[in-house]
Amino acid sequence: MRERRRRKLMVEPPSSATGDIAFNLIVFFLVCASVQPDSGRQQTLPRSEQETQEQSENIEVQLGRNTVMLNGNILRQQDFDTVLKRALNGKTRQEDRVVIVKSKPDTPYHHWVVVTEMIESAGGIVTIQTEEEQQVIVPGG
Amino acid sequence: MKIKRRTSQADVPSMAMGDIAFNLLIFFVILARAQDDSHLQWQPASAEEINASGTAKVAVLIDNENKYYVNGQQVGASQIAGEVDALLGNTPAGERMVLFKVHREAQALYFEPAIEAISEVGGDIVHVLEQKQE
Repeated sequence: MRERRRRKLMVEPPSSATGDIAFNLIVFFLVCASVQPDSGRQQTLPRSEQETQEQSENIEVQLGRNTVMLNGNILRQQDFDTVLKRALNGKTRQEDRVVIVKSKPDTPYHHWVVVTEMIESAGGIVTIQTEEEQQVIVPGG
Repeated sequence: MKIKRRTSQADVPSMAMGDIAFNLLIFFVILARAQDDSHLQWQPASAEEINASGTAKVAVLIDNENKYYVNGQQVGASQIAGEVDALLGNTPAGERMVLFKVHREAQALYFEPAIEAISEVGGDIVHVLEQKQE
């Protein structure tokens, strides 16, 4: 007796579901991408009224492209921390712990971040001073 | 003689629903991308101690071409204070967080005016940095 051949059926995945699959994949990747939080460092800059008080007593830090000066003395970056801590030692009043940071226009941000981090970890309060336009009055003009 | 009216069924093709949803999603994704700054080119500076920053309403970014952006929209240096102030509105002190994203090689000439502008309007600056790798 001849056996009947089994009928082969072509089984295709349901194409109507591909849209839903794509939709769910996109939602998944969107959620993954949006949950990466930013991390960083908070910095509170004192208002200008505070920095004008007894300005002469405040520590002044000058930044160049890759240099750092503390009250006019050029320091190596690794020594800066120690010298600054010594300078801040004994200053208990908040206004005395204000450190004025003056940066040359070409100071890169990564250098500025490193130095201001050192100031804050030493207990100083960072305030920035930018170069302001000065009005020159010519006598008899 | 009575003429029979032919009735034809007109259904919305349900097969197209997936495609419609897909296109809608793409539309909203593009719309959202115009408001964030993930497409901008910048490299964060590194620091030893960093903390996870919370959610902020405002993000100020300086990219690798020294261009300023507030919440992904390009602005001029003089517009930063106004834009940040408008976005912060009457938010109480302590919640006026402003994410500050600056390209690591950006110069003081560009980032200092932005810091000044943010603090001028009472924004609490959070420098967005990456952990320094030893």
